[in-house]
Amino acid sequence: MKDFRVIVSALCLAISPLSALAADMTKTLNVAFVTFPTGYDPAKVSDAYSIGINSNIFDPLVTYDYLARPVSLIPNTIEAMPDITNDGTTYTLKIQPGIFFSADPIFGGEPRELIAADYVYSIKRHLDPTINSPWSYLVDGKFVGAEEMVAAANGGALDYDAEIEGLKAIDRYTLEINLTATNYNFMYVLATDAFGAVAREVIEGYADNTNAHPVGTGPYILKEGEITSVIELVANPDYRQMTFDFAADPTDPVSVQVAADMAGKQIPVIGNVRISVIEEEQPVWLSFLDGQLDYTGIPQPALRDALVINPDDPLDVRLADTYADQGMTLQRQQALEVTYTFFNMADPVVGGYEPAQIALRRAIALSFPINETIARIRRGQAVPVQYVVPEGVAGNNPNFQGQTGYDPAQANALLDAAGYMIGPDGMRTQPDGAPLSVEMATGTSAIDREWNEFWQQAFDSIKVTLTFQEGQWSELAKANREGTLQMWALAWGADYPDGDNFMQLLYGPNTGDANSAGFDQPEYNRMYEESLLLPDGPERQVLYDAMNEIVVGYQPWIFGDIRVGSTIVHPNVMGLKLHPILNTAWRYVDLTE
Amino acid sequence: MWAYVLRRVLQMIPTLFGVMLLLFILFNWVGGDPAYILAGKSLSDETLANIRAQLGLDQSLPVQFLIFVRQVLTFDFGTSWTTQQPVSATILSRIGPSLTLMSAWLVTSTALALGIAGLVAYFRASLLDRVVTLVSTVMMSVSVLVYIIAGQYFLAYKLQWFPVLGWSDNLWVNLTTYVPLPLILGLAVSLAPDVRFYRSCFLEEMNHDYVRTARAKGLSERAVMVRHVMRNAMIPIVTQLMMYLPFMIVGALLLERFFGIPGMGREVLLAVERSDFPMIKAITIYIVIAIMVFNLLADIVYQMIDPRVQLK
Repeated sequence: MKDFRVIVSALCLAISPLSALAADMTKTLNVAFVTFPTGYDPAKVSDAYSIGINSNIFDPLVTYDYLARPVSLIPNTIEAMPDITNDGTTYTLKIQPGIFFSADPIFGGEPRELIAADYVYSIKRHLDPTINSPWSYLVDGKFVGAEEMVAAANGGALDYDAEIEGLKAIDRYTLEINLTATNYNFMYVLATDAFGAVAREVIEGYADNTNAHPVGTGPYILKEGEITSVIELVANPDYRQMTFDFAADPTDPVSVQVAADMAGKQIPVIGNVRISVIEEEQPVWLSFLDGQLDYTGIPQPALRDALVINPDDPLDVRLADTYADQGMTLQRQQALEVTYTFFNMADPVVGGYEPAQIALRRAIALSFPINETIARIRRGQAVPVQYVVPEGVAGNNPNFQGQTGYDPAQANALLDAAGYMIGPDGMRTQPDGAPLSVEMATGTSAIDREWNEFWQQAFDSIKVTLTFQEGQWSELAKANREGTLQMWALAWGADYPDGDNFMQLLYGPNTGDANSAGFDQPEYNRMYEESLLLPDGPERQVLYDAMNEIVVGYQPWIFGDIRVGSTIVHPNVMGLKLHPILNTAWRYVDLTE
Repeated sequence: MWAYVLRRVLQMIPTLFGVMLLLFILFNWVGGDPAYILAGKSLSDETLANIRAQLGLDQSLPVQFLIFVRQVLTFDFGTSWTTQQPVSATILSRIGPSLTLMSAWLVTSTALALGIAGLVAYFRASLLDRVVTLVSTVMMSVSVLVYIIAGQYFLAYKLQWFPVLGWSDNLWVNLTTYVPLPLILGLAVSLAPDVRFYRSCFLEEMNHDYVRTARAKGLSERAVMVRHVMRNAMIPIVTQLMMYLPFMIVGALLLERFFGIPGMGREVLLAVERSDFPMIKAITIYIVIAIMVFNLLADIVYQMIDPRVQLK
C-alpha cells in the first residue's frame, strides 16, 4: 500500500503542471526604478521599466546566457537552438512540453500549457495595426505572407486565425518561421522580451485593459496590475523546473563568484521582488544606504562620495573605503549604446553633401570639447564614441578612431577655407554672404542646460551664431520628422547585440524613422544592403569599416559618448552579475540572511 | 441665499467652458505629440497615423473639442494615452495619498499658524513678536528643495527618526510613520508665510475702533481677541484657506516625489512629461470645479462669520 502511494505521488508529480516551488517566499529583493512603467502588455510597451517587469513574467523563445561574455543566446522555452535551413530563412523551433502559464481565472481552473500557437499569436500581435506595437520595426516585412495579412486587415485588427506561411505552428510544439530574406539577427529578435508568449484567451478576455493583466510563463507573477509606486512580483508557483547552471567566465572574478554561489539553485531563488519607483536621486541613494534597497545604480551626485576615481584615468575606479569596509561591492558596465548629435542632412545650412557643407559640420565637431563634457558632465564615467557600432556589439572595430578631436583652431581654418567669412559683427556668414545661424534642439532639464553651455562655448569659438529650440522630446521628434530641426542630440541603445541594429541608423531608406539625420549616401546604402546578407565576420567588418569611413567623411553625426554605469551592491546579495542586454537579473539573485 | 447659490452655479458653466477652451487650445498649440512617445522606436508613418487615429487626433479640432465637452459632462475622461488605464481609476487611486498628506498638512499648518499669529499679535512689538517675525523671514528665504534635501538627509538618514521614504495601504501607518517627515518639511515651508499673513490680519483688526470700544466696555483681552478680533480677522483667513483647498487634489509635487508618496502630484508631472492629455484634462477640470465650489463655499462662510455680509 505504501509503495502504491509513493508511485501515485510520483505519478502526480510527473504529470502535474505545477513544479514544486523552489523560491524562498520569506525572502524579498528590494530594488528601485527611476520612473513608472507604462504597462504590462509586451506588445504595447517599450520603456525599460515596463520591459524590466515583463521580462520576469513572459518567456521569449530564446534568451541570453547569464554569465557568458560576449553575450550568447541559449534556448529558453525551446528544447534546443533551432534548425535554420533554406539559406537562413526557415527556422524550426521545438517548444518544450510541460511549460505552463501562471494560473488565471480566464483558464477556468485548468492548467494552460504553452504551445507553438501561442508564439504565432504573440508575434503576430506586433504586426496588428490596432496594437501599434513599438517593436513592429523588428518584424515588419520579415515573414512570408505577413504583408498580405496586414494589408487584408485594412487598418483593423488582424485575422489571427488566418495562417501565413511565414509564421505557423506545425504541430502542438513545433513552430516554423519563414523569413522573406536571410537575416542573421533574427534569433536576437526572438530573444527580445517583447516577443514573449501571451495566451490568446487572456488577451481577448481582458481586451479592454491588456496592460493590467500580464499572464505569462515566466518566473514571476505581478501581484497587482495597477501601476503604483511600489510594484510587487511573487514567484510563479507554476514555473518550470530550472536550475542555475551557467558556466563562469574564468577571467571575471564576479562571474566566478556568482557561478560558485548559485550553482544548482532552483530559479527563481527569491520569492518576492519589490520594486519601488523613486524618481529623485537623493532618496534612491539614501534608501540604499539605509538598507531599503539591496542594490542600485549609483546616482551621479553620489559618485564622488561612493567611488575613488583615479584623476589620471577616471574609468579606473574603486568603491570608497566607507562602503567597501561594510562589505559592499561595485559592478561596472559600459552601456551598449551610442550617443550622437545629428545634423539634418536635408537642411540647406547644416545639411548637404557639398564640401563647404561638410566643412561646416566638421568645424562644429572639431569645436566641441567631448573630453571636457565627459569629465564635467559625466564625471569621467563615459568613453567617447569612435565607431557607429559600440564596443560589446558584434561588428565593433576597437581600432577605429571616428572622433574628430577637439581643435578649434583647425575648425576656424576649415571655415575660413570653405568661405564662411567673419562679418562686421564678428560672426561668420555663409559662403554666399547670407547670415549664418544654427539652431540646436534641446530638452529643458538642468542637464540639458549644462550641455547647452558647452555647445554655446563651442559655437562661440568658431564664431558661428547658435540658438536653441527647447521642447519636450515628443515635440522635437515631431519637428525633426517634419524636417524643421537642424541639430539634435540623441542616444540609441542596443535592441540586440549586433552591429546591424546601429548601422541601420544611417541607412537612407530609414530616414524619418531610425535615421534621424536623414543621411542618404548611395555608397553607404549599397554597403548596408550588402552587409545584411553576411553574418558577423571579417567580410562584413570590411563593409562596416568602409561605412564608418563614409560617416566620418560626411559627418552627419558628431559622435558623443557611451556611459559607464556603476552599481553598488549590499553584501547580502548573491548571484548578481550585470548583463548588457538582459534587463533584470532578479531571478538569478539570492539573499543571505 | 439659495438664489445666489443657484446664480453662482449657473455662472460656473461659462467659466468651465472657457477653461476647457483654453486648455484645449494650449494643448494643441504647445503640447507634444503623444504618438511619438507611444511609437517608441517604431516611427513609421503608418504607426504614427494609426496611433493618432486611435487617440482621436486625426479628427478635426472642433470634433475633438466636442468629445472633450462630452467627457466633462459625463466625467468620463476615457483612458490614459500612455498606460491605457482608465483615468478615473488612476485618479481615485492617487487622490487618497495626496489628501492624506495635504489634509494633515493643511490642518496642522492652519492650527499652528493661527495659534502663533494670535500669540505674537497679542504680544505685538514684544521680543517674542520680533523673534517670530525674524525667524519667519529667514524661513521664507530658504527654498523648499533645501528643506526637503536637508530634512531627508539629516532627520531620516542620519538621525534615523523617520523612514527615508515609503507608503503603506494602512492609513494609520501612513499617518504615524510616513507622513510626519514630509509634514514637518511642508510646515517649514508654509508656516512662516501663514504666520506673517495671519498676524497682519489680526493686527489690522486690533487697531479698529470697535476693539477699542470693546476694551472700553471692560471686556477682558481674551474676550476681545477671541470674540471680536479673531472673528473679524477670519474673512481673509477663510479666503486664503479656500484658495488652498482645491490644490489639495494635486498634492505636493516635490514632497511626493522625494518621499515616495503615490499621490496626484507625481501623476501630474508624469502626465505632463508624457503628453498624456486625458489625464491632464481630467486633473485640470477637477481642479477648476474645486476652485469654483470652494469660492462659493467661501462666500457662504463669509456670511456665517459676519452677518453684515449679504449674498445677493
